[in-house]
Amino acid sequence: MEGACGGRGARGEAPRVPRLTLLTLLLLSLLLSLFESSASAPEIRIVSAERRIDLASSIVRAYVTLKVENIGSSDALEVVLAFSPTQAKSIALIRASTPEGKRKKKTYTPLAVNPTTLPDTPADAQLFSISLLNPLKTGETTVLEVLLIQTHFLEPFPAEISQSESQLVYYRDTAFMLSPYHIKEQTTHIKTPSKKIESYSREDPTNRVGTELRYGPYDDRPPYSFSPIIVHFENNNPFAVVEELTRVIEVSHWGSLQVTEHYKLAHAGARHKGVFSRLEYQSRAAVSGASSFRHLLATLPPRVHSVYYRDEIGNVSTSHLRSDQHKSELEIEPRYPLFGGWKASFVIGYGLPLHDFLFESPDGRRYLNFSFGCPLMETVVDHLTVKVVLPEGSKNPSASVPFPVKQKLETSFSYLDVVGRPTVVLEKENAVPEHNIFFQVSYGFNPLSMLAEPLMLVGAFFLLFFSCVAYLHTDLSIRKS
Amino acid sequence: MANSAKPISSPVPQEWYPTLAFFMLAVGLVATASFFIYEATVSKKNRSVLKELSTGAVASVFLGFGSLFLLLSAGVYV
Repeated sequence: MEGACGGRGARGEAPRVPRLTLLTLLLLSLLLSLFESSASAPEIRIVSAERRIDLASSIVRAYVTLKVENIGSSDALEVVLAFSPTQAKSIALIRASTPEGKRKKKTYTPLAVNPTTLPDTPADAQLFSISLLNPLKTGETTVLEVLLIQTHFLEPFPAEISQSESQLVYYRDTAFMLSPYHIKEQTTHIKTPSKKIESYSREDPTNRVGTELRYGPYDDRPPYSFSPIIVHFENNNPFAVVEELTRVIEVSHWGSLQVTEHYKLAHAGARHKGVFSRLEYQSRAAVSGASSFRHLLATLPPRVHSVYYRDEIGNVSTSHLRSDQHKSELEIEPRYPLFGGWKASFVIGYGLPLHDFLFESPDGRRYLNFSFGCPLMETVVDHLTVKVVLPEGSKNPSASVPFPVKQKLETSFSYLDVVGRPTVVLEKENAVPEHNIFFQVSYGFNPLSMLAEPLMLVGAFFLLFFSCVAYLHTDLSIRKS
Repeated sequence: MANSAKPISSPVPQEWYPTLAFFMLAVGLVATASFFIYEATVSKKNRSVLKELSTGAVASVFLGFGSLFLLLSAGVYV
């Protein structure tokens, strides 16, 4: 910045200054800018990196522990993570935290993660920067814990299987962690759901014990080292994907919160090939349709009432509700077991007591505190829409969600509405169970507006009586009596 | 935030909804009956508009609130 300013000033005075001074000034400014850029990118080295990749379900979770050291001359404010383009496309969530305290008193402080770019990044690597809590001084080290969640990343191979076959999938990664920094020592542990691993790439030292594969330890890898690996293994866990989920949360100040959830569920695993034999499915349940699923478990809040589960045809009777003090569990069974590529759509609805979720803050505004994500266990939602329908007469609604979402306002109509209910619409792509955290929608409300609905009914009845009186008092006969 | 905030619940306890609906509708219907009995029995010259309208108003208040509580107790949260 400074360098550029100096250059411009010199050019402005060019006619008076001799040529030589101009050149030196230019050179000086160039040098200055060079020095500045090197100072703004502090040198960081990763002392040790450990990755634990959990492939147990259709969602890939990687727990990365990084020990970072600042070997530059200036303070480091952020640490950059790098991912290959295919990996970056499937990322649903990156969560970073730094542990503080020792052993039992360990607390994790969350850190902000944002996409970023660096000047000399090879081969379209996608970068995310973690902002550190305190600047890392020269020679200091810190530990970072990163949780990385990827969806639609396991590729079924073979892509089509028959009813009796089990599902095999590919997991692609690199043996060396992709990083813009020099990594001194690194290890990768990959945990598969079963012992059945068809094949895996070797990158010595590679070790396999039971359901765990270990790549490493590898010493001294330069920045952006890359060595692709493929693990081909059995994964018969349900690849349940909700392609579209719309949650409508209706707030009524008369004491209830009504939630309606519209699901479009699909099995995103290896596609089903050939015929489906119900007889074989039922009689040889252990070997037939291993990758299919028939139950889904939804975790609902406690004190839930009037639960229903239906689809286009009507009520689906195969569901069970268990509730205790802390949660309610709804087990539902679609009308047919789902095989790869099959779909089912249904609706779940329930009512909740208002005082568990609606609060009044000290400044007089009311706010709803409700969970965001899909209540189904271990399910990816490709497109999630949450609609919060506020009571008529609510003013200035605003939503606060702990992660980026698309927001807009709508007006919806329901019973006894005149001007319509303000509706906050929140949209999120690629939601995972970890997005199932509370969000708030606050709005202003005058308690007298609650009287609008009963007064409307009273008015309607009074109009009836008044018209009776008016009719009986008017004389419509033609002949005077 | 959670400590200072107080939960909001219905101004009328929800358990009362069916009872309230029943009694308010009963009172409302009795008032309606008295309104129509008055209209039918008293001749046009002797009727007072004030009495007619006041009976109508009482009946409509009870019927209005009664039907609201009927809706609420049936699970239609307006």
